[in-house]
Amino acid sequence: MKMMMGIEVHCQLSSKSKLFCSCSTDTKDKNPNENTCPICLGFPGSKPKVNKAVIDYGIMVAKALNCKVAEKMYFSRKSYFYPDMSKNFQITQYEIPLAVNGFLEIDGEKIRIKRIHIEEDPAKLVHKGGDITTASYVLIDYNRAGMPLLEIVTEPDFTTPKQVRLFLEKLSSILEHLGVYEAEREASLRVDANISLEGGERIEIKNITGFADVEKALNYEIVRQRGLLRMNMKVERETRHFDADRRVTKSLRKKEYEEDYGYIFDPDLAEVEISKEWLNRIAAKMPELPDQRVQRFVKQYGIDEYQAKVIVYTDKNLADFFEKCCERYKNAEKAAKWIITYLLKSLNWHSISIKQSKVNVDSFIEFLELMDSNTITERYAKELIKEYVDTGISPKELIKGKVKSLSEKDLKDIILKVLEENQKAVQEYLQGKEKSIEFLIGQVLVKTKKQADPKIIRKILLSCIEK
Amino acid sequence: MIEIKTVKEFVENADSIDFDDFISSVIEKCEKIQSKYQPFITINKNHAKPKKGLIHALPVSVKDCICTKDLQSTAGSKILEGYIPPFDATCVTKIKQQGGVIIGKTTQDEFGFGTFNVNSKYAIPKNPFDVERSCGGSSGGAGCITAAADFPHIAIAESTGGSITAPAAFTGTYGLTPTYGRVSRYGLIDYANSMDKIGVIAKSTYDIALMLSIISGYDPLDSTSADLAEQDFTKFIGKDIKGMKIAVPKEYFGEGVDKKIADLIWEKIKQLESLGASYEEISLPMTKYAIPAYYIIAVSEASTNLAKFCGLRYGLHKQLSGNFDEYFASVRSQGFGEETKRRIILGTYARMAGFRDAYYLKALKIRTLIIQEFKKTFKSFDIIAAPSMPVLPLKFSEIENLKPIENYMMDILTIAPNMAGIPMISVPAGLINGLPAGLHLMADHFNEAALIKASSSLEGLE
Amino acid sequence: MKDYWKIDEKLVEHIAAVARLHLTEEEKKKYASQLEDILQVFKQIDDVNTENVNPSFHPIEIKNRLRDDEEKKTEWDPLANTKHKEEGYFKGPKIV
Ligand SMILES: [Mg+2]
Ligand SMILES: [Zn+2]
Repeated sequence: MKMMMGIEVHCQLSSKSKLFCSCSTDTKDKNPNENTCPICLGFPGSKPKVNKAVIDYGIMVAKALNCKVAEKMYFSRKSYFYPDMSKNFQITQYEIPLAVNGFLEIDGEKIRIKRIHIEEDPAKLVHKGGDITTASYVLIDYNRAGMPLLEIVTEPDFTTPKQVRLFLEKLSSILEHLGVYEAEREASLRVDANISLEGGERIEIKNITGFADVEKALNYEIVRQRGLLRMNMKVERETRHFDADRRVTKSLRKKEYEEDYGYIFDPDLAEVEISKEWLNRIAAKMPELPDQRVQRFVKQYGIDEYQAKVIVYTDKNLADFFEKCCERYKNAEKAAKWIITYLLKSLNWHSISIKQSKVNVDSFIEFLELMDSNTITERYAKELIKEYVDTGISPKELIKGKVKSLSEKDLKDIILKVLEENQKAVQEYLQGKEKSIEFLIGQVLVKTKKQADPKIIRKILLSCIEK
Repeated sequence: MIEIKTVKEFVENADSIDFDDFISSVIEKCEKIQSKYQPFITINKNHAKPKKGLIHALPVSVKDCICTKDLQSTAGSKILEGYIPPFDATCVTKIKQQGGVIIGKTTQDEFGFGTFNVNSKYAIPKNPFDVERSCGGSSGGAGCITAAADFPHIAIAESTGGSITAPAAFTGTYGLTPTYGRVSRYGLIDYANSMDKIGVIAKSTYDIALMLSIISGYDPLDSTSADLAEQDFTKFIGKDIKGMKIAVPKEYFGEGVDKKIADLIWEKIKQLESLGASYEEISLPMTKYAIPAYYIIAVSEASTNLAKFCGLRYGLHKQLSGNFDEYFASVRSQGFGEETKRRIILGTYARMAGFRDAYYLKALKIRTLIIQEFKKTFKSFDIIAAPSMPVLPLKFSEIENLKPIENYMMDILTIAPNMAGIPMISVPAGLINGLPAGLHLMADHFNEAALIKASSSLEGLE
Repeated sequence: MKDYWKIDEKLVEHIAAVARLHLTEEEKKKYASQLEDILQVFKQIDDVNTENVNPSFHPIEIKNRLRDDEEKKTEWDPLANTKHKEEGYFKGPKIV
C-alpha cells in the first residue's frame, strides 16, 4: 500500500531572550507567567522587535540542512483564536520564509526539506479537571509564549516511521552541534506528523514530543488506517492527538470549517535583508557538523561507520563523552562497543540522556580498565554497568567485597586443580571429544564463582592440557 | 486664576506658577468643559509635581488610544473599559520627562474607526462652535478640548487616515500629522500599524512645533520608528517662505467639495503667494483609488489587531462559560461597537484565502503607486495645498443618515497623504457661516519644516 | 472566476464565525447590504494596473530593525488587569 509521510518540526532555539522581547527563555523552576512582559503577552500598545541571534541561529540550521537562505524575508501574522495565543495571531513567516529547498540524508536516502521558518511559541496550557477533550477550563502560563521556534517542514519523503525517528535524532544532533538548541528542555522539540495511505485522506497528528512517540504514533496510525481501508471505511481528513500514556491517537474535535488564517505581513516589523556578508559571517563560525564528525571518528579512532553514526547521531553529548574517553583510554573500539551496546541500552531503559545520567568519563574508563585487567569478567561487566548507570557509584566501589581480585596465577592454580579432579574428562578431550572442554570450563567457572572470563579460562586450560 | 493663555508665554513663565493651585483650577475648568462639550473619557485628577523641562507644568491631553501608565486607556472601546496600562507610551514618557502634565484622556471613535467621533459608547464630543455639530474624528476629543480650553494646553492626537486633520478642521485648530515613523508608536493601541501616526492638535503653529520637538525621535522599541535625531522644530517658526513652490491638485477641489470651502482655500493660497510663494495647479490621478486601497489595508491590519480582545487577559470580562469559540465570540460581540464589527468583518474578508490577492495585496501595490505619485510631485514642489475637509462640521442628525460608504468617502482629501505617510498640517482658514474650515498643507516625507514655515507665516495675517 | 466584489448573508455569517463574532439575523442582513455598497465602490481598484509593482509594507522603506540578544526582567503584575486567574496562571475557557 502506498504511503506518504511528512513532518513539521518545531524546535525551540536557545537564545537568551525571547523572539520579540527581552524576557528570559530560561523557564526552568519559574513561577507561571514570571517570564512575561507586555510584549509577549500582547498587551495593547506593545510592539515586537526581532532578536538578531534567532536569525543567526536560523541561518546556521538552514545551512546545515542544505537550504537556500532568502535574501529578504518577512514576518506575517497568522490569525486564529486559541487560549494559548496572547494576541490571537501568531507572528510567523508565510510567503517568504527564512530558507527553502534543503535536504537531510538518512542512511543514504535524502529527505527533502521544503522550508524553514521562524515563529513564536504559544503559551503552555494546563487542562483543569481532565484532558484537552474533557477539561472544564484551562490555566495558561505564558512563560513559553514568544520563545523562538524554528519550524522545519519536510516533503512527504519518509518511507517508514522508523526513518522519521532517525531523522529526528539526527536533526536534534545537528541542532546541538550548532549550539542553537537544548535537547534537555521540556518540549524543546515538537512534531506534527502527516500521514496518508493510498485510498485515504491525509491525517495530521499534532504536537507529539519525544522521538519514540512519533514513531509509535505513526505506527499506530498505519495500523488504524489500514484497518479502516480494509473494511472499506473512509479515512477522513482530520487532526488527531497522540495519547502517549495509552499509545493511541485520538480524534480532536472535527471543526465545522477549516480555519482561515488570513495571513498579512506584520506591519509592526520591518523586512530583514540577509546580505552576503551576513551569510559569510555565519559560515565562518559554523562548527563541525555530525556527518563530518562521523567521518572524523572513523579516521581518528578507527571505529566503524555504523558505530560512529550511532554515537554522533544519538546525542552530541554522547559523542563528546566518547571523545573524552578516548583522550585517556586508548582502545577506542572497545569504548565504542561498550558505549553503544551496553551503556546506551541502560540509558534508554531509564529514558535518560548521558547528560542527565550520573555516568562520567573517569568512572567509565575505570570500568573499562577493570575488564582489561581481568579484575572482572565481561559477563559480570554486563551486570555491573546497569548498577553503575542506576547509582552512578564508581565501578571500583561497586565491586568491593564482591570480587576478590583473581590474579592469573590464582586462576592457573584453580585450573590445575580442576584438571587433577577431572582426569576422565581430560582423557576424553584428548581422544577428540571437543565437548569435554566445555565441561572443564564450567567447572572452573563454578570454582571462581563466575568471576573469570571463559575465553581466558579456555586459553589457559588448553595450554595446560597440551603440556 | 490663570491669566496666561498661550503655551509660549506659559513655558516662558512656568517657574512663577504655583503648581497645585494651577492644576486644580485646570481640572475644574476641564470638568466644566466636559459637562458642556464632552471631550474626555477620563479626566486625570492625580498629579504629582511635574519635572522641570521644556514644558514644565503644561497641561497636555492625550487621545485615549495612547497608553498612559496607571490611567485608564480604552481607545474608545467598551471592550477595554477599565484597562489600566502597565506602561506609558514612548511619547507620554517624553512629555512627562519634559514636565508635561497629563490632564486627561480624550474621547475618540472606537479604535479610531470614524471621521466624526460618533462611533463610541463613551462621550461624543460636541463642537464648541455649535453643539449640534460634530468635532470631527477620530481624534474628536483632542480637537474639542483644544478649541474649548481657555488655559494653555496641547493635545496629543493620532491619525491613521485623517483623524487629526478632520477634528482640527472642524474645531478651528492646528493639527499636525507627522511623517510615518517620526513619532514612536510604542504604546499606541493600534488601528492600522502601517499607517498609524501620533501627532498634535494645538492652538498655534508654535505649540505644534514645540510638542513635535518633544515627542519625535528614534525609539528602539518601535521597529518602524525612523532613525532620525531629535530636533527643535520651533526654529522654523516665522521663517521666510520666499521661493516656496506650492502644488494645488485639481482632484482636491472637485466633486463633493463644498464650493465655499474651496473658495476660502484659494484665498489662503493667494495669501501664501503674497508672502513670496508661488503655486501651480497639478493633477494627482491616483487620488480616487486611495479610499478603497486605504480601507482595505486599514481593515486588514485592524481586524488582526483586534483579535487579542477576547475577555481573558484585560478589558471586558464575562463569566467563563462554553468553549473558547463560544466565550470569545460572546465577549467580542458584546464589547465591540457596530462600526468596529463592520471593519472586523470587512478586514477578515479582505484577508481570506482566495480573496487576499485581489484585495489586500492589490491594495499594498496601489499604495506604492500613490507614494510614487507624491514623491514625484515633491521633486518639483515643496508643499501641496488643499482643503482639509470637503464639508463644514456636519450636524449629528446629518451624520446619522450617512451610509457607511458615504461616511468613508468623507475622507477623500485626507486618505492619500495618510496612506503615503507624508506629513500634513491642517491650518485654520477662517469661518464660513460661523463654522471653521481648514487649509491642508502636505509635504514630502520628513519635511515637517516646510509645513511649520508655511503655517506660521499665515498666522496673524487676519 | 470568483466575483470578489459580491457578498451575501451566508458569506457574512462565515466571516463572522472566523472573526468570532455572533451576529443576529438582522445584523447579518444589514452588514451584507452595507458591505455590498462598500465593495461596489472598492471595485474600482481592479482598474489599476499593478503589474510589476511591488507591494509597500510601510509608507517608508524600513529594514533590519533588530535587537541584540539580551535578557531583561520586567517588574510588573501580568494578572493585574484580569479577574480570570488562579495560582499565578491566567484562567481561560476550555478547548472542547
Ligand atoms: Mg508553525
Ligand atoms: Zn516578554
